[in-house]
Amino acid sequence: MLPSVAAMPHAIEVRELRKCYGRTTAVDGLSFTVHSGRVTGFVGPNGAGKSTTMRIILGLDRPERGQALIGGTPYRALRNPLRQVGALLDANAVHPGRSGRNHLLWLARSNGLPTARVDEVIEQVGLGSAGRRRAGGYSLGMLQRLGIAAALLGNPGVLILDEPVNGLDPEGVRWIRGRLRSLAEQGRAVLVSSHLMAELEDTADHLVVIGRGRLLADTPVAQLIASASSARLTLRTTHRAQAMAALARAGAVVAATGGDTLTIDGIPAERVTSVLAEQAVPFSELTAHRASLEEAYLELTRAATDYRAQEVR
Amino acid sequence: MNSFVRLLRAEWTKFRSVRRWVITAVAAAVVSAVASTAFATLSSTDANDYPNYIDQFHFVHQSMAGDGSVVARVASLSAGNDGARAGLMVKQQAVSGSPYAAVYVAPAHGVRLESNFGAATSGGAGGAPTWLRLTRTGSAIAADESADGTVWTRVGVVPMDRLPTTVEIGLFVSSPTESVMEQQFGSTHRESTPTLATATFDHVALTPRSTADWRSDDIVMAPVQSEPTQPGSMTESDGTVTVAGSGDITYVVIGDDDVVLTALDGLLLGLVMVVVLAVLTISSELRRGLIRTTFTASPRRGRALLAKAVVVAAVSFVVGLVGALASYGLARPQLARNGFAAPNYPVLSLTDPTMLRVVVGAGLLLALVGVLGVALGALLRRGAAAITLMLLVFLLPTVFDTALPLDVARWIGRSTPVAGLAILQTRSLWNTATTPWAGLGVLAAYATVVLVLAVWRIRRRDA
Repeated sequence: MLPSVAAMPHAIEVRELRKCYGRTTAVDGLSFTVHSGRVTGFVGPNGAGKSTTMRIILGLDRPERGQALIGGTPYRALRNPLRQVGALLDANAVHPGRSGRNHLLWLARSNGLPTARVDEVIEQVGLGSAGRRRAGGYSLGMLQRLGIAAALLGNPGVLILDEPVNGLDPEGVRWIRGRLRSLAEQGRAVLVSSHLMAELEDTADHLVVIGRGRLLADTPVAQLIASASSARLTLRTTHRAQAMAALARAGAVVAATGGDTLTIDGIPAERVTSVLAEQAVPFSELTAHRASLEEAYLELTRAATDYRAQEVR
Repeated sequence: MNSFVRLLRAEWTKFRSVRRWVITAVAAAVVSAVASTAFATLSSTDANDYPNYIDQFHFVHQSMAGDGSVVARVASLSAGNDGARAGLMVKQQAVSGSPYAAVYVAPAHGVRLESNFGAATSGGAGGAPTWLRLTRTGSAIAADESADGTVWTRVGVVPMDRLPTTVEIGLFVSSPTESVMEQQFGSTHRESTPTLATATFDHVALTPRSTADWRSDDIVMAPVQSEPTQPGSMTESDGTVTVAGSGDITYVVIGDDDVVLTALDGLLLGLVMVVVLAVLTISSELRRGLIRTTFTASPRRGRALLAKAVVVAAVSFVVGLVGALASYGLARPQLARNGFAAPNYPVLSLTDPTMLRVVVGAGLLLALVGVLGVALGALLRRGAAAITLMLLVFLLPTVFDTALPLDVARWIGRSTPVAGLAILQTRSLWNTATTPWAGLGVLAAYATVVLVLAVWRIRRRDA
């Protein structure tokens, strides 16, 4: 079964969103678009407005200004929303006295989905026979799987998951990452939030970074890393003076940093190797300094992070 | 499939899949029946030890052997009240409860013939002055009326089997006691005021003629059964007989219990459980944030809440219906053994229209309580607050009913949600606040208003 909005270019569109709770502004002038076929990471420190934005997208909270659309339609106007959007906001939001299977069953009933689909998603998320036990006895990992199953129930083209790996064991984290990738590869739009960039490092294709309710970056993952990585190179050579002279002539800013290492700014690595080859300067190692996604993210959010962040909800 | 039907199925799935709720619903019906039966063992009455009549009046009479008649013109009837009577009577003996036949005029309904505390036959609609005649022929008593004493109209004939040869025959006057029930701080007090009517009779004649003196007697009952009366009197001058009398001659039902209501006493416990259950179905979702899942599955929130209310109403209806059937089935025979039996407390079968109304009404009552519980839970968003408020509204008036001044108690009983309990009543008594369907209508109005407010609120606010 193909997701129903696979071909949608703008699966989720957030336009000029503003939302206040009392005197606290949770989201301010936020705009971004989530596309089908890729995992979009939605990152920002705790309290940055991620959950608020997701609740607005799902029609749960009303923004003071702006709007959020699913395939061009406000969520509240969707008639069988589970067939178009699957969401996991809070895995603990289940009745402890109700079995996981029955939780999925009432969801299926509400959107006219067949009972067979319930058993399918239970198998897909690996809940198995635990599905028939009371959800009150589930571990956090099982609750997350149940939440993912609920999101997948209507085989939707859009998935919205709020901190799905929070509190999961490493095995669970690996499982969810794999699921997210394969769901995106099936053509779905996947919006997944996290307050830890590292969680998304190998998963997300695209990132929407927010801090204190404002958009900080809306960029492909590769580009974010590249922009944060400085062009600084490290050269290890026994002929330091020779190398410094040759590279300075080529326009680089060169500094000696240790016994036999230099740092080079201003010219790319290929130019360094060709200059050194021309001048016949021997060297043992040339390394480019690549920023991790986490460093890039910290760099980006440093200014925006409110260390005494007002607890927003 | 209709989207609302889907929501109903979803909410039904939610309900039936929480075992505690299903157990609570079943327990509510069982507890109702068990409690009703337990209460029934504690209720008893001696109502059937008393006669089912009031027979007090002033009798001016003579003994008459064999067939004969009495004629008189009731010239006037004054004072007393609308229930006052003046007329002629044949009575087996001049004591309360003895068989009789009487023709009389009463301000409220003109001329009437009645016998032995039974149904009356109406004659002309006019009041005094009017001529009346009562004739005994064997075991038949005939009554006639006339405007002029010449042209007579038959009012009716009543049979009086086993009437002895000699009976008492003559004039009578009665005027019923006026009673007001007062209720204050837990005690009920019946304020009874006797009234006295005075009638003048002329052209009094017995056939066959008699030279005996008229005897003038107050016919009164034993104090424990009687209502207070004033002493009557008789005076005669120039062929005009003036008779003053106090009392009433009527069939009465003894005892002022609504035995059906008593048999369903335990239903109040079932109601409490339905309140808790109804509030929990919504407050548990609000507390855990499950309501967000509900609203993402069904963004039209009003319909989602309505579907939940309908499902809770349906479950509560069954609880009420089964609870009432089981209560009545178990408690009513027990009450009958404790004195609540015919004639004063006839046992109604479940197919009696009144019982059908009560049993279906019990279902509707709990259904509306369920709707109110869901709506109030959604409106207040706090389960404890909603349950507390519901129980205050339904239990306080029941507990403190007799402690309040009657006017206040009756106002509460017809104007607050507790009015819905009126659907269970089968008798209109001195403290009855409202009629069954009007009372249920009041509860329905409250449930509707709170539901509309709840829908308005959940649609507006952030989930």
